[in-house]
Amino acid sequence: MKCTICKKPAVIKLRHANLKLCPEHLVARVEKVVAETIKKFHMFTPAEKILVAVSGGKDSLALWEILRKLGYRADGAYLDLGIEGYSARSREYSEKFAAARELKLHVVAVEEELGTGIDGLVRVARGKACSLCGTVKRYLLNHVAYEGGYHVLATGHNLDDEAATLLGNVIRWEEGYLARQYPVLPGEGKLVRRAKPLVFLSEREVAAYCVISGIQYIYEECPHAVGARSIALKHVLNKLEDRYPATKLTFLRGFLKVRDRFRPREPVELRDCPICGMPTAAEGPCRFCRLKERVSHGAPA
Amino acid sequence: MAALKHRGKTYEVGPGTTLERALRELGIIPETVLPVRDGKIVPLTHRIEEGEEIELVDVISGG
Repeated sequence: MKCTICKKPAVIKLRHANLKLCPEHLVARVEKVVAETIKKFHMFTPAEKILVAVSGGKDSLALWEILRKLGYRADGAYLDLGIEGYSARSREYSEKFAAARELKLHVVAVEEELGTGIDGLVRVARGKACSLCGTVKRYLLNHVAYEGGYHVLATGHNLDDEAATLLGNVIRWEEGYLARQYPVLPGEGKLVRRAKPLVFLSEREVAAYCVISGIQYIYEECPHAVGARSIALKHVLNKLEDRYPATKLTFLRGFLKVRDRFRPREPVELRDCPICGMPTAAEGPCRFCRLKERVSHGAPA
Repeated sequence: MAALKHRGKTYEVGPGTTLERALRELGIIPETVLPVRDGKIVPLTHRIEEGEEIELVDVISGG
Protein backbone atom coordinates (compact mmCIF):
# COMPACT_ATOMS: atom_id res chain seq x y z
CA MET A 1 0.00 0.00 0.00
CA LYS A 2 1.50 3.32 -1.10
CA CYS A 3 0.82 6.86 0.03
CA THR A 4 -1.58 8.59 -2.37
CA ILE A 5 0.54 11.74 -2.18
CA CYS A 6 4.23 10.71 -2.11
CA LYS A 7 4.11 6.97 -3.01
CA LYS A 8 6.12 6.00 0.08
CA PRO A 9 4.74 3.09 2.18
CA ALA A 10 1.33 4.04 3.61
CA VAL A 11 0.30 3.07 7.14
CA ILE A 12 -3.38 3.95 7.03
CA LYS A 13 -6.21 3.90 4.55
CA LEU A 14 -8.93 6.51 5.02
CA ARG A 15 -11.80 5.16 2.97
CA HIS A 16 -14.05 8.13 3.71
CA ALA A 17 -11.47 10.48 2.17
CA ASN A 18 -10.28 8.02 -0.51
CA LEU A 19 -6.71 8.36 0.76
CA LYS A 20 -3.84 6.05 1.69
CA LEU A 21 -1.29 7.95 3.74
CA CYS A 22 2.25 7.61 5.06
CA PRO A 23 2.89 8.93 8.60
CA GLU A 24 4.13 12.29 7.36
CA HIS A 25 1.11 12.94 5.16
CA LEU A 26 -1.39 11.70 7.76
CA VAL A 27 -0.02 14.34 10.15
CA ALA A 28 -0.11 16.99 7.41
CA ARG A 29 -3.72 16.11 6.50
CA VAL A 30 -4.94 16.22 10.10
CA GLU A 31 -3.39 19.62 10.73
CA LYS A 32 -4.71 20.97 7.40
CA VAL A 33 -8.27 19.82 8.13
CA VAL A 34 -8.16 21.48 11.56
CA ALA A 35 -6.74 24.74 10.15
CA GLU A 36 -9.45 24.82 7.48
CA THR A 37 -12.23 24.04 9.97
CA ILE A 38 -11.12 26.87 12.28
CA LYS A 39 -11.16 29.34 9.41
CA LYS A 40 -14.35 28.12 7.74
CA PHE A 41 -16.39 28.43 10.92
CA HIS A 42 -14.60 31.57 12.21
CA MET A 43 -13.81 29.73 15.44
CA PHE A 44 -11.00 31.99 16.64
CA THR A 45 -7.99 33.99 15.48
CA PRO A 46 -4.30 33.75 16.42
CA ALA A 47 -4.74 36.92 18.48
CA GLU A 48 -7.31 35.31 20.80
CA LYS A 49 -6.67 33.36 24.00
CA ILE A 50 -7.83 29.74 23.74
CA LEU A 51 -8.52 27.31 26.55
CA VAL A 52 -8.40 23.64 25.55
CA ALA A 53 -10.51 21.25 27.62
CA VAL A 54 -8.00 18.48 28.33
CA SER A 55 -9.00 15.01 29.49
CA GLY A 56 -5.79 13.05 28.94
CA GLY A 57 -7.43 11.25 26.02
CA LYS A 58 -6.36 11.25 22.40
CA ASP A 59 -8.72 13.94 21.10
CA SER A 60 -7.99 16.72 23.56
CA LEU A 61 -4.23 16.16 23.58
CA ALA A 62 -4.12 15.99 19.77
CA LEU A 63 -6.14 19.21 19.59
CA TRP A 64 -3.78 21.00 21.98
CA GLU A 65 -0.75 19.79 19.99
CA ILE A 66 -2.27 20.86 16.67
CA LEU A 67 -3.27 24.32 17.91
CA ARG A 68 0.23 24.80 19.29
CA LYS A 69 1.79 23.77 15.97
CA LEU A 70 -0.56 26.05 14.05
CA GLY A 71 0.64 28.98 16.15
CA TYR A 72 -2.41 29.56 18.35
CA ARG A 73 -2.12 30.72 21.96
CA ALA A 74 -3.66 27.80 23.81
CA ASP A 75 -3.61 26.86 27.48
CA GLY A 76 -5.23 23.74 28.90
CA ALA A 77 -7.80 23.01 31.60
CA TYR A 78 -7.96 19.58 33.20
CA LEU A 79 -10.83 18.60 35.48
CA ASP A 80 -9.98 15.96 38.05
CA LEU A 81 -13.35 14.22 38.03
CA GLY A 82 -12.70 12.09 41.09
CA ILE A 83 -13.20 8.75 39.34
CA GLU A 84 -11.28 6.07 41.18
CA GLY A 85 -8.09 5.07 39.38
CA TYR A 86 -9.10 6.56 36.03
CA SER A 87 -8.78 10.20 37.09
CA ALA A 88 -5.29 9.79 38.54
CA ARG A 89 -4.04 8.18 35.33
CA SER A 90 -5.71 10.68 32.98
CA ARG A 91 -4.35 13.56 35.06
CA GLU A 92 -0.84 12.13 34.79
CA TYR A 93 -1.03 12.01 30.98
CA SER A 94 -2.34 15.59 30.86
CA GLU A 95 0.32 16.94 33.20
CA LYS A 96 3.15 15.11 31.44
CA PHE A 97 1.99 16.44 28.06
CA ALA A 98 1.88 20.03 29.33
CA ALA A 99 5.20 19.79 31.19
CA ALA A 100 7.06 18.32 28.19
CA ARG A 101 5.95 21.26 26.03
CA GLU A 102 6.10 23.92 28.77
CA LEU A 103 2.39 24.66 28.36
CA LYS A 104 0.11 26.12 31.01
CA LEU A 105 -2.40 23.65 32.45
CA HIS A 106 -5.15 24.69 34.87
CA VAL A 107 -6.08 21.77 37.12
CA VAL A 108 -9.44 21.88 38.88
CA ALA A 109 -10.60 19.16 41.28
CA VAL A 110 -14.34 18.55 40.98
CA GLU A 111 -14.41 17.42 44.61
CA GLU A 112 -13.22 20.84 45.77
CA GLU A 113 -15.84 22.68 43.71
CA LEU A 114 -18.80 20.33 44.14
CA GLY A 115 -18.11 18.68 47.47
CA THR A 116 -17.65 15.28 45.86
CA GLY A 117 -16.23 13.71 42.72
CA ILE A 118 -18.25 12.04 39.96
CA ASP A 119 -18.11 8.68 41.78
CA GLY A 120 -19.78 10.32 44.78
CA LEU A 121 -22.19 12.35 42.67
CA VAL A 122 -23.67 9.33 40.89
CA ARG A 123 -24.43 7.80 44.29
CA VAL A 124 -26.48 10.75 45.55
CA ALA A 125 -27.93 12.37 42.41
CA ARG A 126 -30.59 11.16 40.03
CA GLY A 127 -29.62 10.84 36.39
CA LYS A 128 -27.13 8.95 34.29
CA ALA A 129 -23.43 9.28 35.08
CA CYS A 130 -22.49 10.74 31.67
CA SER A 131 -25.28 13.31 31.86
CA LEU A 132 -24.33 14.41 35.39
CA CYS A 133 -20.65 14.50 34.45
CA GLY A 134 -21.51 16.57 31.36
CA THR A 135 -23.31 19.15 33.49
CA VAL A 136 -20.35 19.42 35.86
CA LYS A 137 -17.78 19.62 33.05
CA ARG A 138 -19.68 22.27 31.06
CA TYR A 139 -20.10 24.43 34.15
CA LEU A 140 -16.54 24.18 35.48
CA LEU A 141 -14.81 24.51 32.10
CA ASN A 142 -16.85 27.59 31.29
CA HIS A 143 -16.05 28.96 34.74
CA VAL A 144 -12.29 28.46 34.27
CA ALA A 145 -12.45 30.00 30.77
CA TYR A 146 -14.48 33.00 31.91
CA GLU A 147 -12.43 33.69 35.04
CA GLY A 148 -9.20 33.28 33.09
CA GLY A 149 -10.24 35.80 30.44
CA TYR A 150 -10.17 33.28 27.58
CA HIS A 151 -11.97 34.16 24.36
CA VAL A 152 -12.90 30.60 23.48
CA LEU A 153 -13.12 27.13 24.97
CA ALA A 154 -11.95 24.48 22.50
CA THR A 155 -13.01 20.85 22.92
CA GLY A 156 -11.80 17.68 21.21
CA HIS A 157 -15.17 16.49 19.85
CA ASN A 158 -14.43 14.56 16.66
CA LEU A 159 -16.47 13.37 13.67
CA ASP A 160 -17.59 10.19 15.45
CA ASP A 161 -18.74 12.18 18.51
CA GLU A 162 -20.68 14.65 16.40
CA ALA A 163 -22.25 12.04 14.13
CA ALA A 164 -23.32 9.97 17.18
CA THR A 165 -24.81 13.03 18.90
CA LEU A 166 -26.61 13.92 15.68
CA LEU A 167 -28.01 10.41 15.30
CA GLY A 168 -29.20 10.46 18.90
CA ASN A 169 -30.89 13.83 18.41
CA VAL A 170 -32.51 12.73 15.16
CA ILE A 171 -33.83 9.49 16.66
CA ARG A 172 -35.61 11.54 19.34
CA TRP A 173 -36.27 14.53 17.05
CA GLU A 174 -34.77 16.86 19.60
CA GLU A 175 -35.30 20.03 17.58
CA GLY A 176 -33.85 22.28 20.27
CA TYR A 177 -30.63 20.25 20.45
CA LEU A 178 -30.44 20.04 16.65
CA ALA A 179 -30.68 23.83 16.44
CA ARG A 180 -27.73 24.15 18.84
CA GLN A 181 -25.48 21.47 17.32
CA TYR A 182 -22.78 23.33 15.41
CA PRO A 183 -18.96 23.36 15.26
CA VAL A 184 -18.87 26.72 17.02
CA LEU A 185 -21.32 28.23 19.51
CA PRO A 186 -21.11 31.97 20.15
CA GLY A 187 -20.38 33.34 23.61
CA GLU A 188 -22.85 35.51 25.48
CA GLY A 189 -22.10 37.42 28.67
CA LYS A 190 -20.38 34.98 31.04
CA LEU A 191 -20.91 32.10 28.65
CA VAL A 192 -17.65 31.65 26.74
CA ARG A 193 -17.65 30.80 23.02
CA ARG A 194 -17.17 27.08 22.34
CA ALA A 195 -15.40 25.54 19.37
CA LYS A 196 -14.87 21.99 18.11
CA PRO A 197 -12.00 22.11 15.60
CA LEU A 198 -11.80 18.29 15.19
CA VAL A 199 -15.37 17.78 13.95
CA PHE A 200 -14.34 16.65 10.48
CA LEU A 201 -11.70 14.15 11.66
CA SER A 202 -12.56 10.54 12.48
CA GLU A 203 -11.53 9.03 15.79
CA ARG A 204 -9.21 6.67 13.95
CA GLU A 205 -7.40 9.55 12.25
CA VAL A 206 -6.96 11.35 15.56
CA ALA A 207 -5.65 8.18 17.24
CA ALA A 208 -3.22 7.69 14.33
CA TYR A 209 -2.08 11.30 14.67
CA CYS A 210 -1.25 10.69 18.34
CA VAL A 211 0.65 7.46 17.70
CA ILE A 212 2.69 9.02 14.89
CA SER A 213 3.36 12.21 16.86
CA GLY A 214 4.41 10.27 19.96
CA ILE A 215 1.58 11.71 22.06
CA GLN A 216 1.01 9.44 25.06
CA TYR A 217 -2.65 9.31 26.05
CA ILE A 218 -4.95 7.24 28.21
CA TYR A 219 -6.26 4.26 26.22
CA GLU A 220 -8.74 3.01 28.76
CA GLU A 221 -12.35 4.14 28.77
CA CYS A 222 -14.00 5.96 31.66
CA PRO A 223 -15.61 3.23 33.82
CA HIS A 224 -18.88 5.20 33.93
CA ALA A 225 -19.08 5.24 30.11
CA VAL A 226 -19.43 1.46 29.86
CA GLY A 227 -22.79 0.82 28.22
CA ALA A 228 -23.33 4.50 27.44
CA ARG A 229 -25.83 5.31 24.68
CA SER A 230 -23.26 7.40 22.80
CA ILE A 231 -21.00 4.36 22.41
CA ALA A 232 -23.89 2.23 21.15
CA LEU A 233 -24.68 4.92 18.57
CA LYS A 234 -21.04 4.98 17.49
CA HIS A 235 -21.09 1.21 16.95
CA VAL A 236 -24.17 1.52 14.74
CA LEU A 237 -22.49 4.26 12.70
CA ASN A 238 -19.26 2.28 12.38
CA LYS A 239 -21.18 -0.71 11.03
CA LEU A 240 -22.71 1.57 8.40
CA GLU A 241 -19.36 3.24 7.73
CA ASP A 242 -17.76 -0.17 7.17
CA ARG A 243 -20.31 -0.97 4.49
CA TYR A 244 -20.80 2.53 3.09
CA PRO A 245 -17.61 4.59 3.55
CA ALA A 246 -18.08 8.31 4.36
CA THR A 247 -21.47 7.71 6.01
CA LYS A 248 -20.50 9.74 9.10
CA LEU A 249 -19.02 12.63 7.13
CA THR A 250 -21.96 12.76 4.72
CA PHE A 251 -24.41 12.63 7.62
CA LEU A 252 -22.76 15.53 9.47
CA ARG A 253 -22.11 17.69 6.40
CA GLY A 254 -25.65 17.14 5.15
CA PHE A 255 -27.05 18.15 8.53
CA LEU A 256 -24.97 21.35 8.63
CA LYS A 257 -26.53 22.34 5.30
CA VAL A 258 -30.10 22.01 6.61
CA ARG A 259 -29.52 22.91 10.27
CA ASP A 260 -31.12 26.35 9.84
CA ARG A 261 -34.47 24.61 9.47
CA PHE A 262 -34.38 23.67 13.15
CA ARG A 263 -35.31 26.22 15.77
CA PRO A 264 -35.46 26.01 19.54
CA ARG A 265 -39.09 25.80 20.63
CA GLU A 266 -38.66 28.88 22.81
CA PRO A 267 -35.79 31.36 22.68
CA VAL A 268 -33.42 30.58 25.55
CA GLU A 269 -33.11 33.49 27.93
CA LEU A 270 -30.05 33.35 30.16
CA ARG A 271 -30.15 34.69 33.70
CA ASP A 272 -27.48 34.90 36.38
CA CYS A 273 -27.65 32.09 38.93
CA PRO A 274 -28.59 33.70 42.26
CA ILE A 275 -25.98 31.58 44.05
CA CYS A 276 -22.87 31.55 41.84
CA GLY A 277 -23.68 34.32 39.35
CA MET A 278 -22.93 32.18 36.32
CA PRO A 279 -25.41 32.04 33.41
CA THR A 280 -28.30 29.61 33.48
CA ALA A 281 -31.48 29.01 31.51
CA ALA A 282 -33.21 27.79 34.68
CA GLU A 283 -35.33 29.92 36.95
CA GLY A 284 -33.55 29.97 40.29
CA PRO A 285 -30.20 28.29 40.94
CA CYS A 286 -28.28 26.73 38.06
CA ARG A 287 -28.07 22.95 37.72
CA PHE A 288 -24.53 22.87 39.13
CA CYS A 289 -25.53 24.78 42.28
CA ARG A 290 -28.56 22.52 42.74
CA LEU A 291 -26.32 19.46 42.46
CA LYS A 292 -23.91 21.02 44.94
CA GLU A 293 -26.70 21.65 47.40
CA ARG A 294 -27.94 18.07 47.13
CA VAL A 295 -24.41 16.74 47.59
CA SER A 296 -24.10 18.76 50.78
CA HIS A 297 -27.32 17.16 52.05
CA GLY A 298 -26.42 13.73 50.71
CA ALA A 299 -29.88 13.47 49.12
CA PRO A 300 -30.91 12.66 45.55
CA ALA A 301 -30.95 15.76 43.26
CA MET B 1 1.21 -18.31 15.85
CA ALA B 2 0.93 -14.54 16.29
CA ALA B 3 -0.95 -12.56 18.95
CA LEU B 4 -3.48 -9.77 18.57
CA LYS B 5 -4.20 -7.96 21.84
CA HIS B 6 -7.49 -6.17 22.25
CA ARG B 7 -9.19 -4.86 25.40
CA GLY B 8 -7.12 -7.01 27.70
CA LYS B 9 -7.70 -10.18 25.66
CA THR B 10 -5.16 -11.98 23.49
CA TYR B 11 -6.26 -13.67 20.27
CA GLU B 12 -3.96 -16.16 18.62
CA VAL B 13 -3.97 -16.01 14.83
CA GLY B 14 -2.10 -17.95 12.21
CA PRO B 15 0.64 -16.27 10.19
CA GLY B 16 0.18 -15.42 6.51
CA THR B 17 -3.24 -13.83 6.66
CA THR B 18 -3.68 -10.07 6.36
CA LEU B 19 -4.44 -8.05 9.44
CA GLU B 20 -7.77 -6.87 7.99
CA ARG B 21 -8.90 -10.42 7.35
CA ALA B 22 -7.85 -11.48 10.85
CA LEU B 23 -9.85 -8.62 12.35
CA ARG B 24 -12.95 -9.51 10.37
CA GLU B 25 -12.66 -13.15 11.40
CA LEU B 26 -12.59 -11.95 15.02
CA GLY B 27 -15.68 -9.82 14.40
CA ILE B 28 -13.80 -6.53 14.86
CA ILE B 29 -14.67 -3.69 12.48
CA PRO B 30 -11.32 -2.31 11.24
CA GLU B 31 -12.63 1.28 11.59
CA THR B 32 -12.84 0.84 15.37
CA VAL B 33 -9.21 -0.05 16.10
CA LEU B 34 -5.71 1.11 15.30
CA PRO B 35 -3.16 -1.73 15.06
CA VAL B 36 0.13 -0.76 16.72
CA ARG B 37 3.43 -2.63 17.08
CA ASP B 38 6.48 -1.17 18.86
CA GLY B 39 4.82 2.26 18.91
CA LYS B 40 4.17 2.31 15.16
CA ILE B 41 0.98 1.87 13.15
CA VAL B 42 0.63 -1.41 11.32
CA PRO B 43 -1.35 -1.15 8.05
CA LEU B 44 -4.36 -3.43 7.59
CA THR B 45 -2.73 -4.88 4.47
CA HIS B 46 0.14 -6.25 6.59
CA ARG B 47 0.55 -10.01 6.42
CA ILE B 48 0.83 -11.35 9.93
CA GLU B 49 4.16 -12.97 10.71
CA GLU B 50 4.97 -15.88 12.99
CA GLY B 51 5.56 -14.80 16.59
CA GLU B 52 4.66 -11.13 16.26
CA GLU B 53 2.47 -9.25 18.72
CA ILE B 54 0.16 -6.49 17.59
CA GLU B 55 -1.90 -4.31 19.90
CA LEU B 56 -5.31 -3.24 18.65
CA VAL B 57 -5.83 0.17 20.19
CA ASP B 58 -9.52 0.92 20.64
CA VAL B 59 -10.29 4.26 19.03
CA ILE B 60 -13.87 4.60 20.25
CA SER B 61 -14.37 6.76 23.28
CA GLY B 62 -17.56 8.12 24.64
CA GLY B 63 -19.83 8.95 27.46
